[in-house]
Amino acid sequence: MRLRLQSLRLDPKLLAIGAGGGLLSGLLGVGGGIVMVPLLVLWAGYAQRDAHALSLGAIIPISIAGIATYGVAGEVRYGTAIALAAGSIVGARIGAGWLARIDERLLKVVFGTFLVGIAVLMGARG
Amino acid sequence: MSGPTLYVVLVAFGVVVGVASGLLGVGGGTLIVPFLTLAAGFSQHAAEATSLLVILPTAIAGSLALRRRGVGDLGLALRFGILGAVGSVLGAVLALALPADTLRLVFAVFVGVVGLRLARDGIRGEPAPEN
Repeated sequence: MRLRLQSLRLDPKLLAIGAGGGLLSGLLGVGGGIVMVPLLVLWAGYAQRDAHALSLGAIIPISIAGIATYGVAGEVRYGTAIALAAGSIVGARIGAGWLARIDERLLKVVFGTFLVGIAVLMGARG
Repeated sequence: MSGPTLYVVLVAFGVVVGVASGLLGVGGGTLIVPFLTLAAGFSQHAAEATSLLVILPTAIAGSLALRRRGVGDLGLALRFGILGAVGSVLGAVLALALPADTLRLVFAVFVGVVGLRLARDGIRGEPAPEN
């Protein structure tokens, strides 16, 4: 799996999803993951599990760019950020452990349900 | 909510966000921003800025945990993400010139349809694209 992934490093679809997914995420103010994961699976043909891992890693540089361009210095509430991050760092390790061994079909159902929930939330807001 | 209670709730909510992030490969901003605006009374701007600072360490912790387990390819993901970063800066600039509410509604429909399709594929057990 690892070798196949590396052989796809210049896959034009991957380039398009990176640029397009980032564009949509900046345009709509949503996280990149809910754009990138579906495109990686349904369009580029990645296995569900690999798509989620790829998306999570890609969020590292995307969020660095977000922090750099957003000008967070004056707005961020550090106490809140530290408390949330303290929990989420622990949670991320638990979630990643589940991702490593969850059944791909169950992962599709869980992620699909999550997307429908987000869609309702976004629709209600818009 | 105030004082210690608020912090306990924040840490607990952080755990939920982290699990979703590590399992689903998302940043968690779609969960953190509504929570901070609706439950904690933050302005949209403060919520988004705070959310960005939470997403970064969460994605790093999740990615390192996946790497230890041999899932995915972090080097490829980082290169892929640099493209995404360029795209998202362009998107943020474009957003200033476009009708955001219409875009958001169209996008909500798109996300909903994709979500239903993935859930259906998973339930029916249609062959996942193995690579």
